[in-house]
Amino acid sequence: MAIVDELNALQAETLAAIEAAQDTAALEQVRVAVTGKSGTLTGYLRSMGQVPKEERAEVGKAVNTVRNVVEAALEEKKSQLGRAELEARMEAGAVDITLPGRSQQMGTRHLISRITDEISQIFIGLGYVIETGTEVETDYYNFEALNTPADHPARGMQDTFYVVDRSGDVAAVRGESDVLLRTQTSGVQAHVMERQEPPIYMIAPGKVYRRDVADPSHLPQFNQIEGLVVDKGITFGDLKGTLDYVCKAIFGPDRKTRFRPHFFPFTEPSAEADVSCGVCGGTGHLHNGERCRMCKGTGWIEILGCGMVDPNVFAYAGIDPEVYSGFAFGLGVERIACLKYNVPDLRMLLEGDMRFLRQF
Amino acid sequence: MKVSCKWLSEYVEVPSDTQAFCDKLDLTGTGVEGVDESGAAFIGVVVGQVVSKEAHPDSDHLWCTLIDVADRNTDGQGNPEPLKIVCGAQNFQQGDKIPVAMVGAVLPGDFKIKKGKLRGQVSMGMNCSSKELGLGDNGVDGLMILPEDAPVGMDFARYWGISDRILDLEITPNRPDCLSMEGMAREVGAMYRVPVADVTAGVELVEDDQPASDLCTVQIADPELCPRYTARVIRNVKVGPSPEWLAERISAAGARPINNVVDITNYVLFLLGQPLHAFDYDKLDKDDQGRANIIVRAAEQGEKFTTLDGEERELISDMTVIATPERAIALAGVMGGLETEVTDETVNILLEAATFSPSHTSRTSRNLGLISESSIRYERKVDADRIERNADFAAALIAQLTGGTVCKGAVDEWPVREQAIQLKFRHQRFCSMMGADIARSEAEDILTRLGCVVADAGDDVLDVTVPSFRPDLEREIDLYEEVLRLYGMEKIPSTLPGGRGRVGRYSEAQQVVAKLHDTLRACGLNETMTYALANPEDLKMLRMDGCVSGEAVELINPMNADQSVMRQSLIPGLLHSVAHNQNHGVENIQLYETGAVFAAAEGRKQPKERQMIAGVLAGAMRAVGWNVSPVPFDFFDGKGVLESVARELALPKVQFRKIEAQDAPFLQPGRAAQMMAAGAVIGWVGEIHPLAVDAFEADAPVVAFELDVNALVKASRLARDYEQVPEFPPVNVDVAFVVDEDVTNGRLVQCMGSAGGKLLASVQLFDVYRSEERLGAGKKSMAYALEYRAADRTLTGEEVEKAHARLVTKVSKATGAEVRG
Repeated sequence: MAIVDELNALQAETLAAIEAAQDTAALEQVRVAVTGKSGTLTGYLRSMGQVPKEERAEVGKAVNTVRNVVEAALEEKKSQLGRAELEARMEAGAVDITLPGRSQQMGTRHLISRITDEISQIFIGLGYVIETGTEVETDYYNFEALNTPADHPARGMQDTFYVVDRSGDVAAVRGESDVLLRTQTSGVQAHVMERQEPPIYMIAPGKVYRRDVADPSHLPQFNQIEGLVVDKGITFGDLKGTLDYVCKAIFGPDRKTRFRPHFFPFTEPSAEADVSCGVCGGTGHLHNGERCRMCKGTGWIEILGCGMVDPNVFAYAGIDPEVYSGFAFGLGVERIACLKYNVPDLRMLLEGDMRFLRQF
Repeated sequence: MKVSCKWLSEYVEVPSDTQAFCDKLDLTGTGVEGVDESGAAFIGVVVGQVVSKEAHPDSDHLWCTLIDVADRNTDGQGNPEPLKIVCGAQNFQQGDKIPVAMVGAVLPGDFKIKKGKLRGQVSMGMNCSSKELGLGDNGVDGLMILPEDAPVGMDFARYWGISDRILDLEITPNRPDCLSMEGMAREVGAMYRVPVADVTAGVELVEDDQPASDLCTVQIADPELCPRYTARVIRNVKVGPSPEWLAERISAAGARPINNVVDITNYVLFLLGQPLHAFDYDKLDKDDQGRANIIVRAAEQGEKFTTLDGEERELISDMTVIATPERAIALAGVMGGLETEVTDETVNILLEAATFSPSHTSRTSRNLGLISESSIRYERKVDADRIERNADFAAALIAQLTGGTVCKGAVDEWPVREQAIQLKFRHQRFCSMMGADIARSEAEDILTRLGCVVADAGDDVLDVTVPSFRPDLEREIDLYEEVLRLYGMEKIPSTLPGGRGRVGRYSEAQQVVAKLHDTLRACGLNETMTYALANPEDLKMLRMDGCVSGEAVELINPMNADQSVMRQSLIPGLLHSVAHNQNHGVENIQLYETGAVFAAAEGRKQPKERQMIAGVLAGAMRAVGWNVSPVPFDFFDGKGVLESVARELALPKVQFRKIEAQDAPFLQPGRAAQMMAAGAVIGWVGEIHPLAVDAFEADAPVVAFELDVNALVKASRLARDYEQVPEFPPVNVDVAFVVDEDVTNGRLVQCMGSAGGKLLASVQLFDVYRSEERLGAGKKSMAYALEYRAADRTLTGEEVEKAHARLVTKVSKATGAEVRG
């Protein structure tokens, strides 16, 4: 059986070649040479017709066996080489993972908006809605409807920017006007109470303007958040509890609040709220015994003005103060920026300096 | 208001712990803005007593003394032994009381007292002479020997009466009563629940026989301007310097001593809150009976009047003057006149004590820019009921200190008397509004100490009669505040509002705006904030004047010309920020801002405010990196931002239209587009005209956009419809059209869209190619990847070929395009 011997020899020879193949290309050469179109083993298959009939079964069987063995060996060697080559490729493909990634630039939120968002979220959680108002306002909404009639000394507490009144009305005092840049967001209160029945739970963030020279701690344009609650049975304790909750949410759970009686025309009783100083922990002095500069040694930092809605304000809005009570408050967003983020100079907030903006 | 604790303690017990006192003031509604401790120069100087006096072993003129300073005794090692002090003075005996400067004291001339040794003997301080304490030469050679009753150990400054604490108090506008020592004494009495002495005690009014009514008359022309006016005449005064106690008190209150008459008027102002004015009686015009006729009347429009400060002022009819029939002699409530002022030669005085209309006083003071201690009190309301008492006290004091005599009676015009205000205090309502149980007796006590008359009206209600000096107590709620603040806000338990349940949420518009912000930030833009106060030249610099609607909103009283109008566009502010960044070496700038722009119109009181959102891009999105090479910003970066906005807000039918140069001179011609959604104008995007960029001292190119937020909100759709995800595969065909330069991408896409029919699923431009050689001058090749697809089946080649052939024919016909082979 010369053919069978030949086949066995071919098998041994091929297996040796497979074993010797160094890479998938060499292996492929072996495969083509043996089982390719004009491969040696293929040649045997093609010439089966010339094999005497009686030997055909035996030769055919032998050819198939050789083919199966060779193919299995090829397959195994191929996967073996493939793995090695993959390993090699991966090794070559290792990168310095400390190189910077390929990221998209994400834009940033302005610090004032960030704080406003944060506070808005707190109040949304407490069941409030968010209202807005115009920045150029009439005397009526900025002062009068807030129980600050003309010539009231409380107007002197805020230095007002007056706007040219194009309706033809003339003000009683030279240099003043019926139209002005709102000095407080409190006017939104008056608008909302006018158009909406209680219960009212709202805050109103927005820009306000006062005639202050811009310096590290003052801006002629700054931001306030006004708050107003009108409902049945609202108490001064509710005012305290709400603002205490909010201050803790903003500054941290270990901060305390205190309320000092004050005067605002549109609330009665009125108070200013302080939060305990975060630098000295409310003690007024540092570990080394020095007086705390943040709170000027008092242990407290003034944070907002507040009070129970004055019945006159309810009267302007047509709400019965015997049925409803409420509280209102206003806080300065820039002040929180200073306290919470240590912004040393408020003017940076309006410069648009990319190096500042991209910190937040 | 400046309050001297030393002065205040004449009437009410003032705590010696300054910090505790200030805290209590703060927590009861009187803000403390500052504390000035005078007498600080004597810190460490105390009253001592000589326990023993022995000759120094190594000196023939020094003494070794032991000085008892009571609880300040120390031997330097912590033991409470009398101070060992070596002393060179000769004039003292054992048992004498002397001032002692202890270790640590700093005497005048920056002389620091230290622990030391004098010829081998330890010395723990210094026994002092008057001169050494800076108190002048008292003619004694040696130590200052104090009276026998001087308390050992007491601070010398306190003992000598040179120690004082001046508090700077913030008196809120509702509390005119606290603008006086009398009011502050009452307030402190109520704070600590301690008795308060009568501040006018000890001054007796003695009148002579000459009736004042023979010397002057008073007529009030308009009671609204002046509810009460009294005049007293004091004759034969001798104007001269004030006694020390008076000068000291008014200095502590912040006034400069001038002469006894003027100082007394200031003293009464600070003590009782009653502004006074002293006229030189002899300088007043007289009638034929020799009387000065005082008239309180409205000023004449344009009337000229020279005030005390020598300035001639033009008055308006809204102001009030004190006049004689001939001329004005004082500007009521604000300032006296130069012609009738009291001088050193003055002999007879007409003393005015009155109350004037708060609002007129306020307007006059604002109109003339004159704010005085008097005007501050009048505009907060001076108590008419107490004028008589105040005038009597002042006249008596003038007589007492100047040697003059007070004429009999006051000329008192009081046309309008106010009734005392009666209020109900519903105790139960008070408690439920405060959210705390506060005993009724406590409320009663507080109100009584504040000067109210309180009676039980039954049913848990109090009848409260408000004193005339508290014009701020007009309503029941005002009483609540008084009780609350003196009860202590800190005692009210904190609660959260209950209520019937409510929902907090952002409105739909707020949600859209939030999404808008998110989108711009996702596009890499950084939010900023600029001034809404603007320079009127900004728009011209931007070449945008004429492109905005309405007039600028002008401020009447701007701080400076740079900020004298309200902005009409967000772009100038952003361009200033671009320049700021470039000047600071920051080249890559991506900013955006939202805010209002303002447009005034003649005849309309309030301007229109529109919320805008605008952005600027300059440089590139980022610096060159090891694996990125950023492309400099151009028009398409701006447009890309707007396309993202359109997608995120699901704006329908978005179109970008070319803006002609003359319609937007602030934009670079040919790189400017208007954004539309569903037919409405949303805003614009473009490259800012290089000349405009230059005017803002920034470097071009600057890409910008400005959109109307309300238009965006209106056009946006929060809810979206589901579209079937394709089930069958597409057939992709590329085609390149060669067209004239003026055929736009928009036109080609539109043609393809209408020619492609239902089967054309998407069109994507992937290449723009120009070559004079290959395509010819003025030609460009636009290459598109087209995707054909049917929703319900796999398309056959034949179908696609047919559709594509139709598309090519139609596009070619419509645009003159040739297909590039």
